Amino acid sequence: MIRSLKDNHALFLIVVGSAAWLVPGGGHFALGQQRRAGVIFVTILLTFLLGLYVGSLGVIDPVGAKPWYAAQIMNSPAVLLLGAHVMLVQRQAETGQMDVQEAGTVPYRVYGRPNEIGQIYTSIAGLLNLLCIVNAIYMAHLTAVEETKR
Amino acid sequence: MTIPIAYILASFTTPIQIDTTAASMVWLVPLVASIAIVYKATKVYQIRLVAFLKESAALFASIMVFIIVAAIILYGLEWFVTERLPSLLHTSAF
Repeated sequence: MIRSLKDNHALFLIVVGSAAWLVPGGGHFALGQQRRAGVIFVTILLTFLLGLYVGSLGVIDPVGAKPWYAAQIMNSPAVLLLGAHVMLVQRQAETGQMDVQEAGTVPYRVYGRPNEIGQIYTSIAGLLNLLCIVNAIYMAHLTAVEETKR
Repeated sequence: MTIPIAYILASFTTPIQIDTTAASMVWLVPLVASIAIVYKATKVYQIRLVAFLKESAALFASIMVFIIVAAIILYGLEWFVTERLPSLLHTSAF
């Protein structure tokens, strides 16, 4: 399977890049570099979760903070689902379809320093994963080129 | 079993309290550590625990030193503009 993928160079790079985006470290894992993949996975996941813990799910804001959201998406496609969930809950609360604990409050709304720090953590985690995606694709390219030379 | 899981999940639905004080700058430290570790994970030829930790620590320290030097320079510039410059010009900055 991997052998036939490596024969199709472009497809091999796309698969490695997709794996790296789906799960942080997935691209390196697909290349057989388990230790590197483990370090990347744990570090990026902890950074992202720490950002969510500090600022709550509200730091994922597809409407009011688009540039930050673009960086957050680089973590994993799962961020798209989180963003859709946040938007849905906020829309339900604003239209009165959902009971909120206090009058005038909207779930997952976050302001001030927790919002800043949460967005910085989650976005930096995304940008670090982008670095890892590019690195995994480059390593895959080098591996494929070395094998064709043999 | 479900109560601890629910408690953990609930902690992600409300933000924690962080005051706008100088102490909030400490939040920089874990982020710099994370950047240093991931960057080094993509750069080293092979990951061996001791060598990897040494390289990550060196990068972490160099980023921290650079940030502290930049902060001192900016603080000095701010002090000069708001405290020293008005007295030199005999007028208030604001």
